[in-house]
Amino acid sequence: MNNVTQIVQKVRQAPWRVQRQWIGLFLLALVLMAMVAAIYLNVTVRATLVGRETISLQATITTNQRINADSETQLARLISIEAMQQRADAMGFQPANPDDIIYVTVPGYVVPSAVDMSTPGSNPPAVPIILPEYTESWFDYFMNQQASSASAGGQP
Amino acid sequence: MKRHPHAWRYLSTAFLLAVLGIAILVQIVRIQISPAVAGAIDQSNYVWKDFYPPRGEIYDRHGSLLAGNKTVYEIGLDLTAKPDMPTVMLALQMSGIDLNDVNSRISQAPVDAQYIILDDFVSADKADYLMTLQEKAHGDPTGKTLDAVYLKAHYARSYPENDLASNVLGFVTEDNHGYLGIEEKYDNILAGIPVRMAVPADPRRATEYPTIPPGQTIILTIDREIQASIEKILDQALVSTGASSGTIVVMDPRTGEILAMSSTPRLNLNDYQSITIVFPGETPFNRAISQAYEPGSVAKILTMAGALDSGVVQPDTVTFVPQYIVVGGSTIYNWDGAAWGYQDMTGCLANSLNVCLAWISSEKMHSDSFYSYMQRFGLGHATGIDLAQETSGRLKLPGDGDWYPVDLGTNAFGQGVSVTPIQMVMAASALANDGKMVYPHVLYAQIQGGKQSNTKTQIVGTPISANTAHSISEMLANGLETESSTALVPGYRIAGKTGTAQIPLPGGGYDQNNINATFIGWGPVDDPRFIVYIWLEKPQSNKAASVVAAPIFKQVVEKLVVLMDIPPDAIRLQVIGR
Repeated sequence: MNNVTQIVQKVRQAPWRVQRQWIGLFLLALVLMAMVAAIYLNVTVRATLVGRETISLQATITTNQRINADSETQLARLISIEAMQQRADAMGFQPANPDDIIYVTVPGYVVPSAVDMSTPGSNPPAVPIILPEYTESWFDYFMNQQASSASAGGQP
Repeated sequence: MKRHPHAWRYLSTAFLLAVLGIAILVQIVRIQISPAVAGAIDQSNYVWKDFYPPRGEIYDRHGSLLAGNKTVYEIGLDLTAKPDMPTVMLALQMSGIDLNDVNSRISQAPVDAQYIILDDFVSADKADYLMTLQEKAHGDPTGKTLDAVYLKAHYARSYPENDLASNVLGFVTEDNHGYLGIEEKYDNILAGIPVRMAVPADPRRATEYPTIPPGQTIILTIDREIQASIEKILDQALVSTGASSGTIVVMDPRTGEILAMSSTPRLNLNDYQSITIVFPGETPFNRAISQAYEPGSVAKILTMAGALDSGVVQPDTVTFVPQYIVVGGSTIYNWDGAAWGYQDMTGCLANSLNVCLAWISSEKMHSDSFYSYMQRFGLGHATGIDLAQETSGRLKLPGDGDWYPVDLGTNAFGQGVSVTPIQMVMAASALANDGKMVYPHVLYAQIQGGKQSNTKTQIVGTPISANTAHSISEMLANGLETESSTALVPGYRIAGKTGTAQIPLPGGGYDQNNINATFIGWGPVDDPRFIVYIWLEKPQSNKAASVVAAPIFKQVVEKLVVLMDIPPDAIRLQVIGR
């Protein structure tokens, strides 16, 4: 107790120490703010880069869709009836007549009447592709946290 | 205590830094929460962008592409970039672009235009060459660059099979609108919705980019192989018979699915601009649905079906068929002007006796019953087939201003009544499908979100009983076998009827030099898998449908049984018997 009283007394006797304390506190605040700003900047930069990449990927998807459409149409041309008939003729094939055909019973075989073009799994994923961490601001983050903690606290 | 002599410097620096730091913090908070600032940022960070969804593709029932998309380019010029016009024009010429069109567009541009579309729907080959030139000219020290030229890729319709099934498909113009056929009927679901909207330039808001759903893909009931076969047969038939036009329809009578449909002429859909040359004047794009005509004796199957169903005659009812009959004060003759003596109903159909059928309609059924059956078969009403520009034909009814009592007699054998081929096919589906008449359709399925929803079979009516349907099929099959028709296909029992109809003249009376030759048939009789309708307009090689149309029916059926995997009756029944 006596020692503490002595230290307080010494500090009061040397005002420059008080000044140093204030400067130290101020610098500490600045460092903290700089750290927050750096983190904020880092997140913003990452979000921007990911966003740019997303836009670039969207453009790539559009281009690929066009290339796919072109390729599909080109393929359809190559296997069109006219092209296939010419190729078959060139290879010495000729259309079958009813007399040329031998029918064989295959138990369980059903002639497919038409195509099924369903593509299971083609629906967009339920989980968002871009996480909110890359798009929300600090304020959004705190608001969301507050909202989620409030809703969690409301549970029995 | 003595103050440090330079303490004021430290204090000033600390104060300035503190003010600066606080100002930065205040500004950060202000930008974050101020609606005015946020709005200003939003407005200045949005750019207008066009989104063109690809048009839905069209496939045949086995997944072969009938209508797809390809990439073409819009070529534009940014006038604010002060382009070197001789260089631009030279590059366009070297790329194979029509300069007349380009010059026309330039001359029509407003004086204060900042951007001109020089050409559109330029093929990928030409655009690629132009892009190569643009790349080479980039950074040219003399300023002769092509930097002001912009190439914007977009979709255009492409038809890999050219004119195959063109009467069914229709086409799409450069403004992305479907015309005729399927393209017009399902334009709203195929086209998708092009969108022009403001999107954020801020990459952190990339998620706000809209997702434009593409047009829906559809699958048709058309079988590409069958379609190609009937088109080939039809083309050959026109040459061999000298007919002015022809139509063939193939339908599954159990489901109403149109397996093939063709009429002449056909259009290369990749060159749809030539439609006015290929279809001059009033030429219908698809005769199977858009051209009504007097079908002649094929309509007798409907009269006989109605008579059998109403019970006024039986297949074995025998009647004396004289040379002529008077109905409503007018005389009706047989096709050969001769008397045919005693005939049962099968004989009346097999020999196509007008007098017999006029006797049935006028003296056995009478007008109420006869027209009731004709209406139940759908005559006089469009079938509602999912193709654009269907016409309904005409069935005059008692009470109509232009109906005369003689019509009751002539309508019974297909004169004085007009139908489209698809109407006759739908009506005949009742005869081939246990009395149940099916809705004819071309759409097999739609694909949305990766899921396929198939079109369900619709029964539009049951005009006759199953027993009547079986009886009439038997009578027609027996009739063909008795007369050794050229429509018969070895190994397969077929029901069918010819129709040789005179062509009415606009001023009244009938053309004595030309006929419409028709054949309708289905098979196999015990389990029909197809109905085939043949119509040749004004054949020149012969004036009898049994000579010109029946052999074409045979050719079509011979192809069908192979392509549809239908074994001969003996083998099929043997398998069923196991």
